[in-house]
Parts: sequence; C-alpha cells; structure tokens
Amino acid sequence: MLSAYMDLIRIRFLMMLAYRVNYYSGIVIYAINIGAYYFFWNAIYMDEEVIRGFTLAQMTTYVAVSWMARAFYFNNLDREISNEIRDGSVAIQFIRPYVYLVVKMMQGFGEGLFRLLLFMVPGLVVVSLIFPIEFPSEPRTWLLYALMLLLSFLINSQINILTGLCAFFIENIEGMMRMKRVLVDLFSGVVIPIALFPGWLAAIVQWLPFQAIAYLPSSVFTGRTTGDAALQALMVQGIWFVVLIIPIWLLWRAARHRLFVQGG
Amino acid sequence: MPAIDVKDLRKEFRVQKNREGLTGAFKDLFKREYTEVAAVKDISFTIPEGEICGYIGENGAGKSTTIKMLTGILVPTSGQLKVNGYVPYQEREKFVREIGVVFGQRSQLWWDIGVIESFQLLRKVYRVPEDQYRKRLNELVERLQLGDLLTRPVRKLSLGQRMRCELVASLLHNPSILFLDEPTIGLDIVVKTEIRDFLKMLNREHGTTILLTTHDLQDIEALCSRVIMLDDGRIIYDGGLEELKEKWSKGREIRFQFTSRPKLEELVPLTRDFPDVQWTSEDELTASMWLPHHINVSDALSRVVGAKEIRDIKIIETNTDEIVREIYKSGSAEARKHGQASGENGGSPAGQKETVPNA
Amino acid sequence: MFFHAMLFWEYLKNYAKTRLTYRADFWIEVLSDLAFQAMNLIVILIAFQHTPTLGGWTESEVVFVYGFFMVPFGIFSCFFNLWNFSDRYIVKGEMDRILTRPAYNLVQIMLENMDPPSLFGSLVGLVIMAITSAQMGMTYGFLDILVLILLVAGAVLIYFGIYTALTAIAFYSDSPTGILPLMYNIQNYGRYPVNIYNKVMRFILTWLIPFAFVGVYPAAFFLERSQTDDIRMAFLTPVVGLVFAAIGLAVWNFGVKRYRGAGS
Repeated sequence: MLSAYMDLIRIRFLMMLAYRVNYYSGIVIYAINIGAYYFFWNAIYMDEEVIRGFTLAQMTTYVAVSWMARAFYFNNLDREISNEIRDGSVAIQFIRPYVYLVVKMMQGFGEGLFRLLLFMVPGLVVVSLIFPIEFPSEPRTWLLYALMLLLSFLINSQINILTGLCAFFIENIEGMMRMKRVLVDLFSGVVIPIALFPGWLAAIVQWLPFQAIAYLPSSVFTGRTTGDAALQALMVQGIWFVVLIIPIWLLWRAARHRLFVQGG
Repeated sequence: MPAIDVKDLRKEFRVQKNREGLTGAFKDLFKREYTEVAAVKDISFTIPEGEICGYIGENGAGKSTTIKMLTGILVPTSGQLKVNGYVPYQEREKFVREIGVVFGQRSQLWWDIGVIESFQLLRKVYRVPEDQYRKRLNELVERLQLGDLLTRPVRKLSLGQRMRCELVASLLHNPSILFLDEPTIGLDIVVKTEIRDFLKMLNREHGTTILLTTHDLQDIEALCSRVIMLDDGRIIYDGGLEELKEKWSKGREIRFQFTSRPKLEELVPLTRDFPDVQWTSEDELTASMWLPHHINVSDALSRVVGAKEIRDIKIIETNTDEIVREIYKSGSAEARKHGQASGENGGSPAGQKETVPNA
Repeated sequence: MFFHAMLFWEYLKNYAKTRLTYRADFWIEVLSDLAFQAMNLIVILIAFQHTPTLGGWTESEVVFVYGFFMVPFGIFSCFFNLWNFSDRYIVKGEMDRILTRPAYNLVQIMLENMDPPSLFGSLVGLVIMAITSAQMGMTYGFLDILVLILLVAGAVLIYFGIYTALTAIAFYSDSPTGILPLMYNIQNYGRYPVNIYNKVMRFILTWLIPFAFVGVYPAAFFLERSQTDDIRMAFLTPVVGLVFAAIGLAVWNFGVKRYRGAGS
C-alpha cells in the first residue's frame, strides 16, 4: 500500500519534469517577485533601522525564504479536486482500494518535492548571490526549519483539500477558491510579515491557521524566533495540522453520504 | 463543380518523444526530440454535390484529421484541396459561412441557457437575415420535433435531444455541405433512426452534400450511397456500399433445420462436386452450409433438398460489420485483394482507384 | 469591426441570461475580485504604518496610483478571461469549433469567456481615485477626463498584448506553463513608484513587461509630480499599448497558424 503511495509521488515528480516551460518561467518570475519586494522593503526602511523587530537584512531574508518556500508548499489541489468532483470522476475514486485524499496529498507532495529540489534550493542559491541574505548558522535551525516546511506543506494542502471538497456542496466554487488564495497569501504573511500588521489584525490572525504556512517557519529561518519560541511555533503548526483533520473528515463523510445516498 | 475535391492530400504532425524514466525526463527538460508522423498519406477523392458519403476507419486511421482539413481547421502539409470552390485553409472565414459542422462529442451550444439563445447567437455569427432564420428554424424544429425543447437549458436535455439541437445549430445558415463527426455516438436506436431519416430528408430536399465519419456501420447502410474507407492514413476502399459487400464478402451461409439429427459424414458427400462448400453442424437439428458467391444457391440447394427432409431454410448474407472487421483485420486493401483474387475464381479485385462512385 | 461589436452585444446578452440563473455566483465573484484588490490595498496601508513616504511618494499618492491601476485592470479582466484557454480550447479541442465559425477566432474566444463582474473593480478604482483626489485637493478639467480615457485605453492595450502573447503559448506547448498566474503577481509591482526599484527592475517594468505603464506612469500625470520624466512617460502609455497589442496579436496569429499546422 505504502509503495503505491510512493509511486504516486514519483509519477507526479516525473510529470513535473515534463513541464519544461513551467520550470524555466517559474525561476525567472520568482526571482522578479523577490526582487520587487526587496526594493519595496528597502524603500520602507529608508529612515528606520528596525521595524517591529525586523532588521532590513532579516526582512530581505524573510522575503526570499518565504517566496521560495511558497514554491514548495503551493499546489492546486483545490482546483484538481473540484474538477474531479464536477466531472464526476471522483465517484471512481471511491471504488479504488486507496484513500482518495491521501492520494491527492501524495500527488501534491510529488509536485512540491520537484519544486523543492529543482526550484527552491537552486533558487535560494541564486537569490543569495544577488541579494544580501543571511542564512542561519546553526544546524539545529536548519533541521527545525525543514520540519516546519514539511508542516507548511501539509497545512496548506489541508486548506486546499477543504476548499476543493466544497465543490460537493456548492455548484460554482471558482469564487471561493480565489477568495481562499487571497486569504492564504495575505494572512500567511508571505507578502507582509504578520508582526507588521496593526495590532488588532495581528491578534485575529494569531487564531487562524494561515500563519502556520509561511510566517512561523520563515520567522525561525530568519532568526527572529529562536529557542523555546521556535519550538512553540513548531507546536502551533502541529496543532493546526491535527485540528484541520477534523473538518476534512467531516466534509469527506458528508460528501460520501451525499454521493451514495443521493446519487451525486 | 464537385462539392469536395481532394488530391494527394497529406498531413504530418510533429510528435514529441518522451524518453523513459527519470534520466529520460531530465534530458527532456533540456532537449526535446521529435518524430514526424503522417496521419493522412496522399489521399485523393472527389465528392459531387448532393452526395452522402460515409468516411470510415479505425481509431487513428486519419478520419478526424481529414475532416479538420476539409473544414479549414488544419492546413495540409501538401496536396490540393477544394471544398465548395474554396481552398478552406486560405479563405477560412468566408468558407465556413457555407458549411455546417457537428462534432458528435463536443457541444456548440451554450450550456446554461435555453437552446434558442444559442441559435440566436449563431444567427448573428453567421449573419443570417431574420426572416430567413425564422423560416429555417421553423422548418428544422418541425422536422426534428423540437417544439418545447427550445427554451430548455442545454444541461437539462438528454443526449438525443441535444444532438438534434446540435444539428439545428449547424444548419441554421443553410450550408451546402454538412460535416458530421460521429453524429450518432452514444445515442439509442430510436434517436439514431430519427437523425438518419432527417439527414436523408435534408439531402433529398435541399441537396445538401453530407460527409460523415462514424463507427456505426448502420449509419452508413442507412444513409450513404458511397463509402470511403481509411486505414493508416490511406484510402483502402472508395465506392458504393453494395459493391463493397459484393466484392469483399466471400459468400453466404445457408442454415438448414432438418427433421432428424444430421450427420456431417452424410451431408458432405452431397456437395462433393463443389469443393469450396463447407459444412458445419450447429446443434441437434441444424447444420450450416457455407458457399462462395460463384456457386448458385439453387444448385447447392437442389443437392440437399432431394436427399434430406428439411423443416426450414435460412440464407444469411455476411453483414457489413463482419466485412469491415475482416478488412480492418487484414490491414490493407492490397493484402485483401490478393487473397480474394486467388481464393475466388474471377471476382475482380477492388482496388481503390478502380471503383467508380455511383453518383 | 462593426460586426464584431454587434457580436459583443449578443454575447453579453447570453452572458446576462446565464448569470441570471446563478445570481449568487455573480456576487461571490464580485466579492472575491474585490477581496483580491483589498488585499493589495491592505499591503500598501500596512506599509505606510511604518514609513511616511515610499520613494518620496505619500500614502495618498500611492493609493491614488492604486485606484488608477484598478480601472484598466477591471476593463481588461472583463474582456480577457482566458485563464483556462489551454485546457478548454486546446486540450479539450474547442478550438476546432471556433475555427469553423465565420468570425475572428480571438474575438470569439474572448467574448465566450467575458467576465463583466470584473468591471466592479474599475468602479471601485474610480471611487478610490475620487477619494484620494479630494484628500489631496486635486481638481479635474474636461481635458483631464479625455486624457484619463486615453491613458486607460493605453493601459488596457498593454495588458491585452502581454496576456494574449502569453496565452498563445498554449499553441506551442500543451503542458501548463504556469507563466500566467506568476505574471499576475508581477503586474502588481507596476503600481508602486518605480524609483524604488533598481535599474534592472525599472528597465524590466518599463520596456520588457511594461507594467509600470498600467499604474504609476499614467497616474503620475494627474498627480502632477515634479519629476517631468514621469509626465513624459505618461504620454508614452498609448504608444507602448499599441506596440504591445500588436506584438500580442502577431504572436497569437502565429500560434493559430501553427495550431492549424501551417507554421514552420
């Protein structure tokens, strides 16, 4: 069973390799993205040394690593799932001897792995040559970050799966998917670190799962969160991962019910 | 002027090769390899105005590619092509105003709104004057009994209803040539018959030239005076359906039901002087005799009638399905031709260019 | 031209009829559109909490630029909703149907996918411009309105050219390229004052993917900023628009030619 799932990762990895144009364009455009934000922050730091505990160097690192991490955790599982629901092919998935949602997760992971190895890692190297980026010196931080990155992927995929599953109950979820994307990009802190949010907004975001996707791991990477606080951030991610299983499970059960009892 | 005139038409595609495995995929990332594949290989045919012609062949034989070239979607690699007096790929926008196209597996109708709205839109796209449009629509609606379906959204229509609406949509501008790509795919027998009757009527009353591809040979039998058969990009047969049957079927089967159990040892000697005749026993009381075309039924029959007591006789002609399957299996017309020439004494070989279409 | 304009009206009628059957979707779409714009606005507002000026531009000025940016973008999005072109027209083969119809193929495709809710974005943009204009005490004459229309038209043409060319990639490569969504990211940098970027970025945003011309350059005309350079750039907008639209159309037509097997 496990080997079947592993094979799914492998196949998706190969599929990604076949998308050559995607690969080249991605590298160029992510570099431009990071560059644009670098200058944006530069302009903001014009007359400040430190903003909410971030130095300019830290901010630069934050921007670079957040975008590169986004390349890893980003996927279109929501779209894939909702398409399969709409064209009815999801019904076939129910009769297959595997768990559909795990299959989707594995496919997403294959995609992520591809981007991690061929995109995020070389991308970070290239970006570090152009922009002043400070890499963490302690191996412990690297290890912790790797773990947190994996959780970023899991939580982001969970949110995508949740959105995609809504297609069982809502006819047109295009709008919802777009809304989700906006929410994730803004509240995960990939565009602006949550620490810079006005107090009331930051307080709200603290209680949402999005910060676990980008803000928490990137803060650890930049060295802004260290020691016990870093472990605590990891725990927050872990908790969100477990908590998010519940709504997925409920939605999935309701979807099965709908499919079997009401015939789609 | 023939409706369709095709000479040495050829279409090649560049197909990308995917190398195997992880290393192969890595190589593909940086350098692609391509192969040229010819989908249609120098075919020629002429279809006169007002003919219904069936275009058949296995999947991948090159049917769709030909249709796409004839309708101006694809540009041929080489060869001449004239449809309705136009070179389709050169004067596309002017040309398509005079043809109708139905892709059986794809809808041209707006999914969420009443069918009539799609028709209205198509009227504008094809610039059909209002009065002509009314007249035409009324006629089509009546013929295809669409009446109250017109205001229903397409997604609420059955496949049969939708297909009839697709036909109307492609005919609103009164095209002189109609291209149908698998028009009866997935339909039940009643709808199929309705559509066939309608197409026949259309051809009879308006003189519309129709070219259809299909996998259902009954479509061909019911509609086409002529059939073009394609295999691996080449025309392997072009001519009347009857001739196809005559020339390509080797014989027929006569099934006897006897009053007592027949023994093959007894039956075979009866037709001793016809060496090509073969006997098989079917069950308790029936046995079949297979005889080639060059032997008269009466001759063979008379041998049996005198010797045995017969309760019932049935003559079974080889049907088109079987013939076509046989041709596909043998792969090319050439191989089949030789087999026929040697196996039968005389039957003239059915080469592709020797048969004259029965226009 | 007249023929295609009339077709536009017909398609619009059919769009309206479709949408009346899914009224809820309409508002969800408007909302998700606006949420996306709101996110970008929030980024600007948050940034200005930590700095008084961005590259010498005040908050009102940057927000004004953003308002202007939304106007052509809304118009463009209304007519150019081809984000699933590759899938729908190439993979699923609907391009064949388009090519059997007697109207210009790109017009048919654009009209089939029209998305009028996007125009709400333009409306909101105008409101933002009005509000910030009032804050800064700006007044408009009749000539200003004419210039506004001209500049907006130029900006729409720039979008049209870039995205038409990129969409046409589908004719050359059937695998998803991922360029479109990423380009969507880049265009956002055209609304920040270009002087915050370094030479390379400024050059890219001005001449290669000229998104500076859909936001900051034309908006600078109304802000009457002291740099005469910006004003001159404003009037280059329609020119750049025409050039890029021509390039886009050429690439598209060449792609169609290739699709039909007539290309090299």
